[in-house]
Amino acid sequence: MGEKKNRWIWLAIGALLLLIYPFFLTLPFPRHLMIMIFLYASMGLAWNMIGGYAGQISLGHAVYFGAGAYTSTLMLMKLGVTPWIGMIVGGFISVGLAFIIGYPSFKLAGHYFAIATIAIGEIAQQWMLNWDWAGAAVGLTLPILPESFLNMEFHTSKVPYYYIAFGIFSLTILATYWVDRSKLGYYFKAIKGDLEGARSLGINVARYKFYALALSAFFTSICGSFYAQYVLFIDPDSVFPLMLSIIVCLVATLGGVGTVWGPVIGAFILIPISEFTRIQFGGGGKGTDLIIYGFLIMVISIYQPFGVIGLSKRFKKKESE
Amino acid sequence: MALIEVKGLTKNFGGLMANDHIDLTVNEGEIVGLIGPNGAGKTTLFNCIAGFYPPSGGSVRFKEEEISGLPANDICLRGIARTFQIVRVFKDMTVLDNVMIGAFNRTNLTATATKKALEVLEFCGLASKKNFLAGGLTVANKKRLEFAKALATSPSLLMLDEAMAGLNQTETVEAIELVRKVQQSGITVILVEHVMEVVMPISNRVVVLNYGQKIAEDVPEKIIQHEEVIKAYLGDKYHASRRTH
Repeated sequence: MGEKKNRWIWLAIGALLLLIYPFFLTLPFPRHLMIMIFLYASMGLAWNMIGGYAGQISLGHAVYFGAGAYTSTLMLMKLGVTPWIGMIVGGFISVGLAFIIGYPSFKLAGHYFAIATIAIGEIAQQWMLNWDWAGAAVGLTLPILPESFLNMEFHTSKVPYYYIAFGIFSLTILATYWVDRSKLGYYFKAIKGDLEGARSLGINVARYKFYALALSAFFTSICGSFYAQYVLFIDPDSVFPLMLSIIVCLVATLGGVGTVWGPVIGAFILIPISEFTRIQFGGGGKGTDLIIYGFLIMVISIYQPFGVIGLSKRFKKKESE
Repeated sequence: MALIEVKGLTKNFGGLMANDHIDLTVNEGEIVGLIGPNGAGKTTLFNCIAGFYPPSGGSVRFKEEEISGLPANDICLRGIARTFQIVRVFKDMTVLDNVMIGAFNRTNLTATATKKALEVLEFCGLASKKNFLAGGLTVANKKRLEFAKALATSPSLLMLDEAMAGLNQTETVEAIELVRKVQQSGITVILVEHVMEVVMPISNRVVVLNYGQKIAEDVPEKIIQHEEVIKAYLGDKYHASRRTH
């Protein structure tokens, strides 16, 4: 039990460090960096529910990210509703999309499911590029409102964004913890492990796959709404790109799929690489981070297929009789 | 009382009649052995009853309700659990987690599932292995785990598909003991098996399939003297060896 107590102490220290971080690092860049880490860690965690726990590799998660971004933005611009409500509504719209997408595509196994999700992501992007009411290819520039928590807009400091991102991140971690310990997590892992075996133990495979995707879509969508409020400009190329779906998948895969902390580790490794190369090379070096990602993924999949977090599990007891 | 009643069950794959109008009744508390040469249709019959194949015809009644054509997970919820000939353990999970997945069939609470899983592991003699990864177990223990997972779903009928194939003498004896214990706890068992030494001593009745048809059904003592069965399956050698005893 000592190990468990230690874990809580480390968790408390980590949370405390992250809480006081903006007081010590006062420049915008370190704060921005941490916000991006929180954002991608949350998305990695969300992706992990369907891709990691349930083993259904989705490469179309930009759909839910974009749906979240567009829902909260459109509700703000057309109806004047606070982005907080837009964020929740966006989450539920994404759950609806998850049902529409999941119903036909869950019949596909393995790679075919991944391919189908790519196709759906591309369709969504094309759709948004041509939908005039929603800004089409020009995108949407969010109205500049007075700084307030209710408006979720802050122009003088990144600190409020930092704490909102930290809140979303904490919520996603908690949700993942809950999934990990509950019937859902066990059933997701069973579906990943052996479909027929899962069925024989009374698992309604189609239903639990949908639960996994719905949870995943909901949290990804919340990240999308936050992103829109943070950047204050969205267009189909920034919130619906295939690259976003791939990076989210990489974050989880590099860190370790099907674990609570894997995607967090992944985000802490990948996002600084991407942000630093962006600064170093500017627009001319676009893609440098992807070259590094590609290299890391190759190394990880050859030497440590369970991700970085697998290093600690390597010594787990195995029976040898 | 009949727990499960199979009537005229038929399954064909294209032109191949894997099961041809099979009738089978199993009473509560019985152990029924299902034997037959390779390709006789034993596993197909299993898959049809457990909902892995939709039957082409006939009916399956379980606890007085028609269940043929229902999906496998529904049938498990109604109380029929099965094991697979080639074990389907979740190899990247621990033994305890494997059994917990079975136990979640009757509860939504992790604590209840853990308690049930630990009981089942104790019952099956796997308690000392609970923290091992399932993929690292020996064949005998994997078979035992497959059994434990099915048992954890709290079935009233347990269907074992060659649960003892590939085990050595001692392991087989232990496995037979386990099946007896399961019967004593009030669970009905249908047993598909190749190993004669397994089926004969523990079955209350034995059903013999050949080329998709039922050719005999009787108590084990009669089955081993049944002319057609000997010809179809047991062979003259077994027949002869019984006489010399």
